[in-house]
Amino acid sequence: MMSVARVTAEADSAYRSFVRRRTAVFFTFFFPVIIILIFGALVQTQPTGGGLFAEAPAYYVPGYLAVVVLFTPLSRVGSTVARHRDGNRFEKLATTPLTRVEWLLAHTLVNIAIIGVASCIILGLVVVTTGATIVFSWWLVPFILFGVALFCGLGALLGRIADSQDGVIAASNSIALPLLFLSETFITPALLPEWFRPALNLSPLTYFARGVRSATMPPGGDPTGACLVVTLLAVVFVIAGAYALPKTD
Amino acid sequence: MVCYAEDVRRAYGDTVALDGVSLAVERGSVFALIGPNGAGKTTLIRSLTGTTEYEGTIELFGEPPSAVNSQRIGLLPQSFSPPERLTARELISYYAGLFENTRPVDDVLEDVGMEDAADTWYESLSGGQQRRVCVGTTLVNDPELLLLDEPTTGIDPAGRQDLWMLLDNLAAAGTTIVLTTHYMEEAQTLADQVALLNDGAIVADGPPEKLITEYGGPSQLSIECTEGTEIETATMAVGGLGEGVETDHRTVTIYGVSPREIDATLSALERADVEFDGLTWQEPDLETVYLTLTEDANDGATPHAEVTPLP
Repeated sequence: MMSVARVTAEADSAYRSFVRRRTAVFFTFFFPVIIILIFGALVQTQPTGGGLFAEAPAYYVPGYLAVVVLFTPLSRVGSTVARHRDGNRFEKLATTPLTRVEWLLAHTLVNIAIIGVASCIILGLVVVTTGATIVFSWWLVPFILFGVALFCGLGALLGRIADSQDGVIAASNSIALPLLFLSETFITPALLPEWFRPALNLSPLTYFARGVRSATMPPGGDPTGACLVVTLLAVVFVIAGAYALPKTD
Repeated sequence: MVCYAEDVRRAYGDTVALDGVSLAVERGSVFALIGPNGAGKTTLIRSLTGTTEYEGTIELFGEPPSAVNSQRIGLLPQSFSPPERLTARELISYYAGLFENTRPVDDVLEDVGMEDAADTWYESLSGGQQRRVCVGTTLVNDPELLLLDEPTTGIDPAGRQDLWMLLDNLAAAGTTIVLTTHYMEEAQTLADQVALLNDGAIVADGPPEKLITEYGGPSQLSIECTEGTEIETATMAVGGLGEGVETDHRTVTIYGVSPREIDATLSALERADVEFDGLTWQEPDLETVYLTLTEDANDGATPHAEVTPLP
């Protein structure tokens, strides 16, 4: 019970801190919206042509969701770790009963709440602006939940490795951008050289994209396998991220 | 013994941060660590809380730091900066929420004098108020041992005195306090024991009065002679007073003069027709000890104040 109370206290503090930074809140939601407007509404998909955006609009739903599921937790948790370290907050937390797993769990919950809302907006916007025909499947819930947890864990690892908030942002962009485009999201495997295609299986986001697509794009498929992989990776990355959180030095 | 350390060592690569530090802090006492920047004070605090690795022995309440129930400890790290867009009340509540047994938030706010600004965001508080909130976060779990790394840095004199009173009351109620400070007055006023760290080693330790007696040297009476006055004349005039005399340009310093002898000094100067612009009497204090010991340690000399005896 105490653990729940500690996670609640940490999550409450993190949530209040986030919603009071209006610029951060605005751009958290504005970023995916602008991506949808550029690619979905302006560029548009061309199902009869070749090259990029040649698939049906629903194909790109995992990519639009990945904009928030990948970018937001990676940069938010990474920079939160850097901010905590700069302010010696971890040193203080190390002398409280709050464990590192609880800390990361609390921040993951806050990200899940924010990204859950952002995902709903994205899905609605995609349908309205691109005319995509999608299935609103309950499978989206575990994919978004564990997808966010996975990248929160990775964000904590980044926060540990990078020595400043600037460093975290640069590192998270360097990792997130290739992942976003090389995980069967916006670029189909057919557009990539054959020798590179096996590398797609190394990206955690690939399983998120495959699973979400199976769940939302008619005629659909079985997303169970992809969901299990994302869940397993989420557990691994959250544990690794929690133990990577610094104390002081 | 609440806090015990023996032969504690810590190095960062080739840099030695702690070099065989030993200390013992009794229950309900205030222990102050003083020393120059980079002396190892923060590393020692981190070692005591187990937030950095170390060699040697450290025990809090008879246990290694990693085994101690965090309910018994309150830590204020150096340059601590909590989430800045929470109010003072929210910050205290947040840290209280991490512990099982906590004090009422309003009581903590009252202790640190933040009742009136309790609903102001941390980032909008003055530097002194921010520091008081930070101290407040260490009190939420009613700790038996408080470790405060420069608790009064950035606080105005009135706020500092309020905080001293709070710490004094906490110590009187049985809380053990280990603090670091750059304010010698703070260490002298608050501490039962003071340890001076320099280059990772304790150069001197003991009650402030003992350190002052041992290393502070005698009191000093400095006479700043008027331009044109022969310094030799002034030196001869005060020759029979005190334990020794030193001259430096226009200033004659007599060591070991009690306040009662100031009148005799003035008479002696008058008799010798020595004119002077200023006269300063200074009792040795912890700052004198600090300066003497850190300068001596850096020079490699034996740590004590030296006085030139009169012929």
